[in-house]
Amino acid sequence: MTDQALLDSLRAQVRTWLAANAPEGWRDIAVHSEFADSQRQWFAKLVKAGYAIPHWPAEWQGGGRSLAEQKVIYEELARADCPRLLLSFVSSYHAASTFFECGTEEQKARYLPRILDGETWCQGFSEPGAGSDLAAIRTKAERRGDSYVVNGQKIWSTMAQYADKCLLLVRTSSDGPKQAGITFLLMDMNAPGVSVRPISQIQGDEEFAEIFLDNVVIPVSERVGEEGKGWAVAQATLSSERGLTLLELSNRMKGALCRVAELIRKHSHEGDAGVMRDFGQLVTQVDAACAIADRFLENRIAGIERPGDASIVKNTYSRALRAYSALGVRLGGIDEQYRAPITFGDLNTGNWMADFMNSYAWTIAGGTEEVQRNIIAERMLEMPREPKGWVF
Amino acid sequence: MGVLIELAELQDSASKAFPASGLMPDRAQAWQTVTELGFLMVDLPEDLGGLGLPREAAAAIAFELGKGLCTAPLASALLALRAIAGAEGFAKRAEWIERIVGGEYVPLNLLPGGIVVGADGALTGTVSGLFEADMASHVLIGAGGAYRLVPTAGPGITLTERPLWDSSRRLFDLELTGVSGSVVIADGAAAAALHDEIARSAHLLVAADSLGGANAALDLTIEYLKVRKQFDRPLAMFQALKHRCADLKIAVVTSEALIWARAHDADTAPVVDLGAMKGLATDTYRLVTEEAIQLHGGIGLTEEYPIHHYMKRAMLNLQLCGSLDHWRAATGRAALETYS
Repeated sequence: MTDQALLDSLRAQVRTWLAANAPEGWRDIAVHSEFADSQRQWFAKLVKAGYAIPHWPAEWQGGGRSLAEQKVIYEELARADCPRLLLSFVSSYHAASTFFECGTEEQKARYLPRILDGETWCQGFSEPGAGSDLAAIRTKAERRGDSYVVNGQKIWSTMAQYADKCLLLVRTSSDGPKQAGITFLLMDMNAPGVSVRPISQIQGDEEFAEIFLDNVVIPVSERVGEEGKGWAVAQATLSSERGLTLLELSNRMKGALCRVAELIRKHSHEGDAGVMRDFGQLVTQVDAACAIADRFLENRIAGIERPGDASIVKNTYSRALRAYSALGVRLGGIDEQYRAPITFGDLNTGNWMADFMNSYAWTIAGGTEEVQRNIIAERMLEMPREPKGWVF
Repeated sequence: MGVLIELAELQDSASKAFPASGLMPDRAQAWQTVTELGFLMVDLPEDLGGLGLPREAAAAIAFELGKGLCTAPLASALLALRAIAGAEGFAKRAEWIERIVGGEYVPLNLLPGGIVVGADGALTGTVSGLFEADMASHVLIGAGGAYRLVPTAGPGITLTERPLWDSSRRLFDLELTGVSGSVVIADGAAAAALHDEIARSAHLLVAADSLGGANAALDLTIEYLKVRKQFDRPLAMFQALKHRCADLKIAVVTSEALIWARAHDADTAPVVDLGAMKGLATDTYRLVTEEAIQLHGGIGLTEEYPIHHYMKRAMLNLQLCGSLDHWRAATGRAALETYS
């Protein structure tokens, strides 16, 4: 079979499976912990079917898929309106990629099978004083015999309240450049001294949490890479997501344009030329976001990605998402100002104020829009960096 | 694969013949180069003597030519040729194709015209949007539900240049007063089908010209910011300016992704999808060049410095083949149908 025929056959296979197995009713779940349960069930089902970890190596059941094949699977998941894999995302992408790239054989053997069994990981990277400037972390780990004793605070950790384990960045030295004193540890979320506090967000969700660390003991065997070399490990963690998420999300947003159309009909705006123009502009903006996400992935598959490309895709998507939800808020009129219960697992729910507030997650999390602009300007356009310590 | 290689070669030869640095080449010379390199033949079917390449090929050439604000009217000529090639019932089709491919310039108008066809079949009114029509022997226009070839000189025919702000092109009106003897190449259902067929390519060519120009204008601007120093450092070091350049780059790269995706599906895509794409591309060109002048500061306001030429071309492109507002509204209405 040709490559295209193989992809077509995979697509048909996934589509058939989803027709019988795609979850229903997940949009109606109003309690966050119940949503987390539904996420566990959906992940387990995908693992069994062989569609959960297409990006893992071939020795794993369901792994060894090319990027082109992964793209097919993601397109079909979005097309079938399945819930996004939020709870298992850090586990199957960030944690797995950390182990595959930098873990010891022992760590791989211990943790990778458990991920497939549903063990969930969260990410302990950002801190109150280290957001965009991640290398400025201050959570301190002191070596005592065969263990580290860790004290500090982490923040913006997605779904940490449900996590079993944590990918933790700590400072083991304050000498030299700030990147040099960082170490990468694996922490048990049930260890003494770990406490988690979900963060109440502006739309009423609790998707993020703070993690407080008070004399938490972590064995040295739970370190990934050498002491002081954690920054490089963290890069491996963060590069695990290969552009599939934004392709999936862009296509979901395109499908969800029907919600704007519904709103226009509900408020009888069909004859309003101004509204038609704004809707048309949004439709094209969303189409362009899909096109750039697709092209980016194709370029990656072809090995011709340029530095800064990923930042362009992220900013294009996040701006379109903001525009999408802002138009919904505007066209929805006063109705949207009456508070409605939120649901989980989707960014385009049609609860317009909630969607609008949720859209900021994409212009802020994972490198703010402003940081992405710096990356584009400095790495792609080769505009000079500001001198160190420049006070203006 | 063969098509891809030919496409890349064409684009390469276009960028070599019309480098972005050779801004606004001499028109007669540019037109000669366009015809000699066979650019008019790229998407002409093979059985009519062309290369039979997909629509992307012509768009890729227009993209390269747009970088240097090409003075030769490639799009107008390609569109008229495409119309004639698509007019299967036109008896003199082969003869006209040969004449045009051989260098005789026949443009299609890129702005709406108001021609009335009298009971005797005579044409009266004004056709606008005829680029470089002083080089043309005939023009191709739509009037009375038919596409017609009309000479540019003769009794009752007046060709008038309408001076433009855009310094890279010349635009003409053709005024007709009771002109008989126009040659109908297609009418009725054939003309309607031809309209959509030409519209698809028209949007692609205008969009490609715009994005080629947007790329070049942004490159020029960033180059300038890297060289120009104030407060003892290059302007390119200031974050406020970097962020604006990054936003422009995002707009350009994203519009490019959409144009090539739409170009690929152009034969089957609804015309409104291509109109929307053209709207985005021309608006990106407008945005980039508007910002480019501001980012250049005072020198951007001088005639001598080239950046203003791009802004002027961008503003004219915004008006070709239907306005941005028209296509946005049409896209909105079409999407309302799709998502019903």
